[in-house]
Formats: sequence, C-alpha cells, structure tokens
Amino acid sequence: MTSICLYFEVHQPIRLNRFSVFHIGNNNSNSTYFDSKLNKEIFEKVAKKCYLPTNNLLLKLINESDGRFKVSFSLTGTFVEFCKKYMPEIIDSFKELFKTGSVDMIEETYYHSLSSLYDELDEFEEQVRKHRQMIKNLFNYKPRVFRNTEAIYDNRIAKKVADMGYKGIITEGTDKILHWRSPNYLYKPVNCNLKVLLRNYTLSDDVGFRFSAKLWPGHPLTADKYANWMAGNEGDLINLFMDYETFGEHHWEDTGIFDFLSHLPGEVFKHDNLDFVTVSEAVERYESVGDIDAPWAISWADADRDVSTWLGNDMQKACFNELKNLGKIIKEKDENELLNTWRRLQTSDHLYYVSTKGMEDGDVHAYFSPYDGPYDGFINYMNILQDLKQKVE
Amino acid sequence: MKIAMIGWEYPPFKAGGLATHCYGLTRSLADKNIKLDFYMPKTKKSASSDKSNLRIIEVGETEIFPYDRPDSKEIGGNFYEAVYYYNSLVVSKVEKNIKTNGKYDAIHCHDWLTMKAGITLKEKWDIPLVLTIHSTEYDRSGWIYPNQWFIDIEKEGMNKADRIIAVSHFTKRVIVDKYGINPDKISVVHNAVYPITEGHKQEIVLFLGRLTIQKGAEFFLKAAQKVKDYEPDAKFVVAGIGDMLPRLITQAIDMGISDKVIFTGRLSEDEVKHIYGISSVYVMPSVSEPFGITALEAISAGTPTIASKTAGFSEAFKNCLKVDFWDTDEMANKIISLLRYDPLHRTLAKEGKREIELFTWDRVADKTIDVYNGVI
Repeated sequence: MTSICLYFEVHQPIRLNRFSVFHIGNNNSNSTYFDSKLNKEIFEKVAKKCYLPTNNLLLKLINESDGRFKVSFSLTGTFVEFCKKYMPEIIDSFKELFKTGSVDMIEETYYHSLSSLYDELDEFEEQVRKHRQMIKNLFNYKPRVFRNTEAIYDNRIAKKVADMGYKGIITEGTDKILHWRSPNYLYKPVNCNLKVLLRNYTLSDDVGFRFSAKLWPGHPLTADKYANWMAGNEGDLINLFMDYETFGEHHWEDTGIFDFLSHLPGEVFKHDNLDFVTVSEAVERYESVGDIDAPWAISWADADRDVSTWLGNDMQKACFNELKNLGKIIKEKDENELLNTWRRLQTSDHLYYVSTKGMEDGDVHAYFSPYDGPYDGFINYMNILQDLKQKVE
Repeated sequence: MKIAMIGWEYPPFKAGGLATHCYGLTRSLADKNIKLDFYMPKTKKSASSDKSNLRIIEVGETEIFPYDRPDSKEIGGNFYEAVYYYNSLVVSKVEKNIKTNGKYDAIHCHDWLTMKAGITLKEKWDIPLVLTIHSTEYDRSGWIYPNQWFIDIEKEGMNKADRIIAVSHFTKRVIVDKYGINPDKISVVHNAVYPITEGHKQEIVLFLGRLTIQKGAEFFLKAAQKVKDYEPDAKFVVAGIGDMLPRLITQAIDMGISDKVIFTGRLSEDEVKHIYGISSVYVMPSVSEPFGITALEAISAGTPTIASKTAGFSEAFKNCLKVDFWDTDEMANKIISLLRYDPLHRTLAKEGKREIELFTWDRVADKTIDVYNGVI
C-alpha cells in the first residue's frame, strides 16, 4: 500500500504601507506600518476564489468518501488574524472540516518567519508556542507534525523541533539531501529522533505549478491520469505539499482545477494499492528507512531549494540583520505593542519581495509582490525598520 | 546588402541619443557585412569611419538644429527653406552615388529632419524606406503645444515608410495612437550602449541631458530641495545645455539650493564619461522619453538610476528605480535611500551592470537587419 499525504500551506502576509524616508521618526503609531486596505482587498479576493469554495469542496469529498479522503493544513497566525478580522466564517469552515476526523493540523511559527535562522532559537520557540496556543484555542488540538516556514530545514532546526516534542517534520524532497534515494519514504535526521516527511516535488509541482501550463506535455492533467501516475510510484508515502491557493487562485476556476480536485479521491480509490493519510497518521504508520543530513538549510522555495529566496542578496541580508538586532533591544523592553509589531515584520514574505532572482523564479516573485520590484520592496521595508529602530532607541 | 542611411548627427558632433544610436548601429551593421553609406550634414568637426564597409558622406552645411524649438509658433520661411534645401542636397548626393555605384537595397532615415529626402528617393527610385523614430514632436514639446508642421512631416514619413522601427513600445503606442499608423508595420528595437568605465564614486546626484521641457530638469531641482536637509553632503549636478538653462538657474536660486547645485554647461565626451563614473545616483525625470540612452550609459558606469516610469528605457530594464516624473517626493525618497542604504546601492550597481550586458549594438544591428530583410 502507498499512502497519499496531501498537505496545504494556508498563509497570507500582513502587507506593508508605503513608507518613505520622510515618514521615519515622525509618527508614533505602529499601525501605520500595515496596509489594512490592501490586505483586506487581497484577503477577500482570495477567500472568494479559493478558501471558501475549496473548503466546501473538501468537506463534501470527505463526507462522500466516508472519511477515507484525508488532508492536512498548516494555517499561519497572520492568516488566522485576517480570518478573524475580515471573514470569521472561514474559521468556522476549517473547524467543520477538522470535526470530520479526516483533517489534521500542522504546527509552524505563528508569523511564518525566518526565526529558525537566528543565532539563538528562543524567538523561534516562542513563535511556535504561540502557534500551538492558537491551534489549541481554535481546534482544541495539539499538532504532532511540524512544518517550518516554506519547509526551511537543517539539522539544528530538526533537533529543536524534536526537543519540543513533535513526532514528525516536513521538508522538501530535494536531491541535495536525498541524492539517489526516493522521497516516498520517511527518513530520520542524523542528529535526533524524528520522522521526516519529504515533499515529492515532481508530483506536487505537477499540480501546484504546471497544472495550467499548456506547453507542459502532461497538460491537461486529469484526476485519472494523475492517480495512475501515483499508482505507478514505489514507496510507502507520496507527499503532495502545496500552497492552498493552488485551488482557484494560482490556477483559476476556468483551468478546471476544481474538477480535478473533485474527481481525485474517486480516481485514487480505483487503485487498490493507494489510500490517503494525514501527516500524523503517516508518522504513526510508517518507519524511517534512512538518515537525512542537512548541515545547510534547504527549503521548498525557488529552483535553488535553499534560503537564497530570502537571503540571496545584500539588501535581504541587511534587512534580516537589522530586524534580528532590533529584537535584542525590543525583548529587553518588554513592551507588548512593540514586540507584536516586530514579529509581524518578521513574516518571511517581506524579504521574499526583495529577491533579485532572474528568470522563472523572478516572475513568480513578481506575481506575489505588492511592489514595483525588489528595490522598492527594500526601500519600503528598510524605511520601516529604521522607524522602528528610532522608536525603540 | 547595401543601405543608404540618412541621419543628421554622428560623433564627434552629438546633440542627443540619435548620434549615439547611429554610431553604434552603423558600426555593428558594417561588422555584419552590410555595405553602408551614412549621409549627414557637414559639421565643424568632421566625422569619419575606419571600417571599409561604412562610408560617412557629408552633405552641405545646414543651420537647422533638430532639437530646437523655434520661439514663435508659426515657423518662419527661413526654417522651411533650410529644411527643404538640405533635403534636396541629400537627394542629389544619394542620386549621384546611385548613378555611379548602383541602387541601394533600402533607404533608412532617422526622425523628421531627413524624412522628405527619404520619401523622394523611395518614390523616384522605388527603393524600400525604413524609418527609425527616436522621438516625435509630442515628446520634444513635452506634450504641450506640439507643432503641427513637424507632426505633418512625421506623419507623411510614417505613412510612406515600408517599415518603422520604434525605440520603445512607448513610442510605438504614440505612433499608433497619435499618427494613426498600423501597428503591424512597426518593430520595436530597444537601444544599446558602449559601456563606460566606473570611477571613484562621490556623493553626486546627476542629471544629464538637454535642458528642454522634455527632459524634466525642473523636477530634478524640486527633488534636490527635498533631499538637501536629509543628506547635507550631497551635491546635485545638472549637466547639459538647452533653452531652459537660465530658468533653471533662477529656480535653483529661488529655492535656496544654489550652493548644492552645479550647472556644468556643455561637457565634452570625456567629461561626460567622467561625471557618469563618479556619480552615485543618476536621475532621468523625463516628461516624455522615447527611450533614454543616458540611463544605459549611467548604469554601465555603475551608477544606479532613477528613471521616469513612462520612459522607453523603463519598459526594457529591470534593475533600476522608477518614478512618476512629477512625484518629486518619491524621487527624493529614492535618492535618499540610494545615498543612505549601501546594500541597495551596491545591489543596483551590480545587477544593473549585469543586465546592461544584454544591451549591445550587436543585438540592435541583428534586429535592424531583420527589418531590412522584411522590406527587400
């Protein structure tokens, strides 16, 4: 039997206001950093195109399959804040999904941050605890599997996550750590006791990236074709991890993405050797077959599959260091408002927008960015960091 | 392939991007085995060519300076006459060469000044006509009171040309929207640059261009005033000459920034390269800019550039900063950021130089040859 583990990242960053050098030091309100209007617009648009219709469809599919169709989610703290503020009905629909028993929740940092790359991991731990508290409040549940921001992973992070009591961790099934081995098994970090779920990037990206690419030989991708491909895979586990916005947002409804999803469980069940598992079930059911060694951080982002997406150029490193250093001062001050602002600024998207990668990745970055390019993104973000610095000094 | 190209400026005589373009284009075409006769007005500094495929043929002197905006709105008889006279000189010179050396495969004209000659030669000798549009009357007037006399000449040339090369999509749109030309007849070929050596950077913010309404130097001064209090060590250099120079000097004095702004007047080729090299920021706040080769020149010298959003350059280039020319707050924000945030300056300089490698005259020549092949 090969189990299919479907997992979706559900995230929206709190986008920033336009903040010029002339604003630095002349306003006392932190709220002016965050652009409520744009955030609300984007959130409501994506909710209508993706969150609400996909949640409804998943609920229907789970019920029709008597719970044999299963999915897992990681909801970021910033996403949940948007739900509470603008569309609480989305939270209700996630609760309803969770109640079916076929839906699992995954842990991560509340702010979808890069705190796992700081010199010390205390801030990382606090953000994970904050997320844990949020999941407990919403679902009265304690996640067993962890997925770091955009699947960033190295030995140090794995050790920390194991120490915090998690049973499993999700990352990218990149050749950098697998070499000749298959992603379709569980592995174990070299330095701690934890099960590593590795994303099958070929099959995941067939849906996440290539679904509507007309020039791709696999186009059009139908559920029966896809189920056949999976049935032909060897291994315990096929990890399909993607952005939740794949459904209805990255690929619009008219591409047939919802038809694909609605036929997927039925087509999978036609194969006797396939079933679905949640991430928790995956780590319970299967054993690790080998070790994973990641002395340097990997991730699922861009073609490089490392952290160069956020820390690839001098501008990104400057912002990252500035932000990191601000934290030391802010933590000594013990002012909640400042701390909250600083943490919201840690959401990795702010650095993602500053990436200067060319080629295909550059187009993906531009698609998500609210700025006219990385340089505008840097100026805006750095101006805000300078303002915050003046406030704390 | 044998081409008669008709222009009106060529280094060392140079008033704008057209000279730079003709120089780079003709030399790269010659390297690609195109036989080229380049016709231009006789100037005080004689132009020459060291390539056997490329002949520079100087025609009688002319008093016309194509970027001038005649003061009165009705353009006087002398101006008309001078233009017609010059065009007829060009025609007879080209015809003389046709009679001795045989027909050209195509005539290639640049901008309005020589269009009349191009049309005459096309009609009389049945030679295909290619027209490159570097700027239109709308650009040169900054879209304020464009002169109908120029527009009519441009329109006639565009209508009769077999193929038009526009230096940007921005210019292509103007040609389609304002002159009613079929877009299928227009190819876009972005400009290129011969890279300039980077110098020892100083805290200089540079404007370089003709001081005409088109180039927006007044917005540069307004931004300078806003930057001054935040970056007291910054110097602002306004390089170039033009009809707005006296007004800009007065403006700088009235704004109380005359101690921060340096007006250089006309610069030699070497001085231009030097100032590009040592500047920290280049600003191109053009009101209407078909392309803007100066931006490529600045970036090639490692100088991060802030360009007008609508400039043709901005549609073609990624690693630069873009502003609305009228938004001097944002222009100042970006100037200060470049002076203050070293990582921004460094990344823009580095990535800009990398991108500039795509902007070669070799590429412009290839695309121009494609256009020739389409009409011959």
